[in-house]
Amino acid sequence: MTEFDNLKTMFESGKLSRRDFMSGLAAIGAGAALTPSLLSSSAMAATPKVGGTLRIGMEGGSATDSLDPRTYADSVMIAASLACMNGLVEFDNAGNPTGELLESWEAKPGAIDWTFNVRKGVKFSNGKTLTADDILYSIAIHRGETKSPAKGILAQIKEIKKVNENQIAVTLESGNADFPSILGDYHLVVVPDGFTDWQKPIGTGGYTLESFEPGVRLVFKRRGDYWKPGRANFDMVEIRNIQDAAARTAALQSGQVDAVNRLDARTVDLLMKDSKLNVVRTKGTGNRFCFVSRVTEKPFDNNDLRLALKYGIDREQIIKSVYNGFATPGNDHTLDALNPFYNTEMPQRKYDPDKAAFHFKKSGLGNTKIELQTSEGAWATAVDCATIFQQSLKKAKINLDVKKVAADGYWDNVWLKVPFCAVYWGRRPTADQVMSQVYGGNSDWNDSNWRKPSFDAIVKEARAELDQNRRKEMYWACQEMIADDGGMICFAITDYLDGFSKKVMGTEPHARYDMNDNRIAEKGWFA
Amino acid sequence: MRIFGYKPSLSAWIGILIIAIFLIIAIFADWIAPFPEEETVSATWDSPSADYLLGTDNIGRDMLSRLIFGARMTIGVALVTTILSFILGTVTGFLAAVGGQVIDQALSRLVDVMLSIPLLIFALIILSMFGSSIPTLIITIAVLDSTRVFRLSRAVAMNLVVMEYVEVARLRGEGLWWVMRREILPNALPPMISEFGLRFCFNFLFVAGLSFLGLGIQPPFADWGGMVRDNAKAISFGLPAPLWPAFAIAIMTVGVNLVVDWILSINSRPSGASAEM
Amino acid sequence: MFRTIAIRIVLGLLTLFAVSVLIFVSTEILPGDVASAVLGQGATPETLAVFRAELGLDRPAYTRYFEWFFKAIQGDFGVAMTNKRVIIETLEPRFLNTMFLAGYAALIAVPLSVGLGIVAAINEGKAVDKVANVLSLMTISVPEFFIAYILILFLAVQYDIFPSLSTVFADMSFTERLYVAALPAATLTMLVMAHMLRMTRTSVLSIMSQPYIEMAFLKGLSRSHVILRHALPNAAAPIISVVALNLAYLIVGVVVIEVVFVYPGVGQYMVDGVSKRDLPVVQACGLIFAGAFVGLNTIADVLAILVNPRLRNPR
Repeated sequence: MTEFDNLKTMFESGKLSRRDFMSGLAAIGAGAALTPSLLSSSAMAATPKVGGTLRIGMEGGSATDSLDPRTYADSVMIAASLACMNGLVEFDNAGNPTGELLESWEAKPGAIDWTFNVRKGVKFSNGKTLTADDILYSIAIHRGETKSPAKGILAQIKEIKKVNENQIAVTLESGNADFPSILGDYHLVVVPDGFTDWQKPIGTGGYTLESFEPGVRLVFKRRGDYWKPGRANFDMVEIRNIQDAAARTAALQSGQVDAVNRLDARTVDLLMKDSKLNVVRTKGTGNRFCFVSRVTEKPFDNNDLRLALKYGIDREQIIKSVYNGFATPGNDHTLDALNPFYNTEMPQRKYDPDKAAFHFKKSGLGNTKIELQTSEGAWATAVDCATIFQQSLKKAKINLDVKKVAADGYWDNVWLKVPFCAVYWGRRPTADQVMSQVYGGNSDWNDSNWRKPSFDAIVKEARAELDQNRRKEMYWACQEMIADDGGMICFAITDYLDGFSKKVMGTEPHARYDMNDNRIAEKGWFA
Repeated sequence: MRIFGYKPSLSAWIGILIIAIFLIIAIFADWIAPFPEEETVSATWDSPSADYLLGTDNIGRDMLSRLIFGARMTIGVALVTTILSFILGTVTGFLAAVGGQVIDQALSRLVDVMLSIPLLIFALIILSMFGSSIPTLIITIAVLDSTRVFRLSRAVAMNLVVMEYVEVARLRGEGLWWVMRREILPNALPPMISEFGLRFCFNFLFVAGLSFLGLGIQPPFADWGGMVRDNAKAISFGLPAPLWPAFAIAIMTVGVNLVVDWILSINSRPSGASAEM
Repeated sequence: MFRTIAIRIVLGLLTLFAVSVLIFVSTEILPGDVASAVLGQGATPETLAVFRAELGLDRPAYTRYFEWFFKAIQGDFGVAMTNKRVIIETLEPRFLNTMFLAGYAALIAVPLSVGLGIVAAINEGKAVDKVANVLSLMTISVPEFFIAYILILFLAVQYDIFPSLSTVFADMSFTERLYVAALPAATLTMLVMAHMLRMTRTSVLSIMSQPYIEMAFLKGLSRSHVILRHALPNAAAPIISVVALNLAYLIVGVVVIEVVFVYPGVGQYMVDGVSKRDLPVVQACGLIFAGAFVGLNTIADVLAILVNPRLRNPR
């Protein structure tokens, strides 16, 4: 039996998780090309059944939510929009872009000129058939005079036009080999041309909206004529906002909901023991937790200090104590190991008080006050992480002042403003987005203020490069530059932890978001 | 044994003992605590063992040591806050009672206004004006708390103002301040002391409650209210971690109130107004 | 007497007006603004400027105040900045929910705590008194969400008696609502009981030292008879004021309970409004809360004037 067959058998018999299987494949050098068919054949083994009401309890919504895609910011509205609408591009469980309403695409060399084929025969819930005009409108609302968060990523579009009813052509400002992934952004969902009534959205999704009370619940009803075969199997789907992690857990345990997102890592062990429940763990795709210093401000303009802080943080201890092991150590940049361009040969930075002390001494800062601002408003356990950081620095004879500041207004008043603070970054679908948004010279959110023309040049070149090996070399170099010189201590990348009742099927981990890419309403069914 | 010339009852002795023990623990925390306040010594929420008598907390610090150090911070902040709020509340309350209709109505309505603005907005304003630090924390709670003290002290003083000896003092031509200090204060003391006990305890929790605004105690220092908050999730799984700090608060509360009840009973004719807020 | 009451009501209205100004001003000076809060990490300076102009944040504050005030007293709080919904449509059902929960808790808590307070006063110094005293102190020694977690653990997860999610919906019947909201109501009851119980006890006891009570004892009446017939009516005023204060707390101070039990009340709406800097929402919620508070206090004062002969004719 070959190594590959071995892995395949283990995967199919359930001994290996999809994630381990994928990394196993990578390890033996099996190409990504053959995996989708294998994965889908295994997923199709069980035929979905139709019926039942799926009740989901979710964090990530508020009383001020709206279905207008230009306002989406968190999980509840992402999941809700995907229940009644479709995106342009979907991602398979390994994170590769696949066609959704844009069925397929093709780029001319240089990745500047793209053509996209619009899927035929798809009907909106009002009976209208999908055409290229609907797609153009749904993209246009995020461009020009708008407050849409997707405006930034669409700025690279120089021209977008209809070729015919089922084809559009896009010209970019400069080449971008990852452009289809950009169109997979969760803000880009499709409504009919000219649509404006966001209280009653019309989409091509598997369900229609029955009722919406912002911050309370959304109810969806099955359409029955969904264009994706075998999907959207529940008669009704109810998404309830449950902000408190303990309340979500209790609701799942007492059977009041069938699925919840964002389980608390510290208590998830105990949930795993519950025979009625199924905990789905997606390793290392969650939030990237960082302490970020602004390299343009004293004393953080001193790279020896930055290195001292990077060596002086006990990542293992934080992961053990705060995340109960449900996280992977960060390597001081926000790209995760699932990204094809992750630098696998750069050694993982480890806690080393001696090295930290050495660099601190070399920095010549002596007793300069180093203050880290942190808050429960950054993320719930930011203060705990900072406390452990403070303590691990002590062993290197570095004194860190931890200042807990108001949760309210944290992103307005602290982040991007103070020299050293806590921040988390979410996953970005492509390496290019990570490099240009988090570290790019022109990015408004370059929170370390680390701006290097040489770095920007590499990123720009890599973006248009279609040769994957050349790209990989460039992105690897980028990661080394950030980790060795940048202002960011990225110490942990958490796992997504979802909880399901055992009777909910179709709950595989997904490389992009939790709750099977927030599409559990569409992808799941009751056993 | 007598205290201030009075013989404490059995329950008063228990109260005094509790307070004394907590004070000693607070003062000598450095010597008593088996582990440092901030050091992570074991896994999260370990059960009690010979090494960690009360187990460990949400990031694996020794619970007992945190409780011991927490006594210092909790009692200290609550005490300073309560004293400040009483000075503020009593002075304004007495002034409202003694100073005549206009001052009274002005102060009373002002307090009404303050009380009817939701706490969240109120605290945010203070936060935005003064920033976040332990002094801000103390002042915020003291100001909010003093509105309630104001109501009590005003009500108590109202009953005293009509007493003959106050009238006499006024006819003698004594000033407002003198009347407040020499005639009203001594007679208003018992109900104020009773309220002091209750408010002192409320303030423990208030300190913890305000931490969502970033106004709480700064890490790595411990406070009991915050410890309950940080460990509360464990209770969903039947782990006892948050019960320990909750017990500490409860015991301290009971102890203080036992003493307060005794002080109250010394005064054989409590003022009718002591029932007011 | 009627004049006294009328003055009290006018003062109440004036207070409310002052509060409305303060709420408006204070929400205006809150640091950070809706534009950057709504747009979050996706905001760029130009999208921010567009959004601000769209919201009318570039006009002077006093014109916006008077516009807001005159509309607000007609029940029109405008449209939420974040999701463009008519605020009153969101606020009304939530306010009714809040009132329902507060009323539910009050119906249990007030009779229970006043009753226990009287029992404690009758048995002053005896075991019943001490137990009631210590137990009520225990309930105020822990934060409210902690009581909530304990109730959920035992009554919802371990023994499936009540649901842990207390979300009420428009289509629920009254009895369903009572069942669903049982746990938050129980939590709130425990929260406000201690204060009312202790105040009832102290008020009754302080009346007990009055000469006319001694007179009643000298007539040979039993202790419980003296307390119920002679002391209680005269202790009513402070008890009413404490009850009013706690009722106000039940309406205004339940944000945490709403979060833990996922109860759709006004508190959660305001917190979401504050964190997104949705000023019209915050102002509407603030005004509703202040109105409830001032209203309850005014009613309590009027009641106190009515029940207490000495207050009917103030000096």
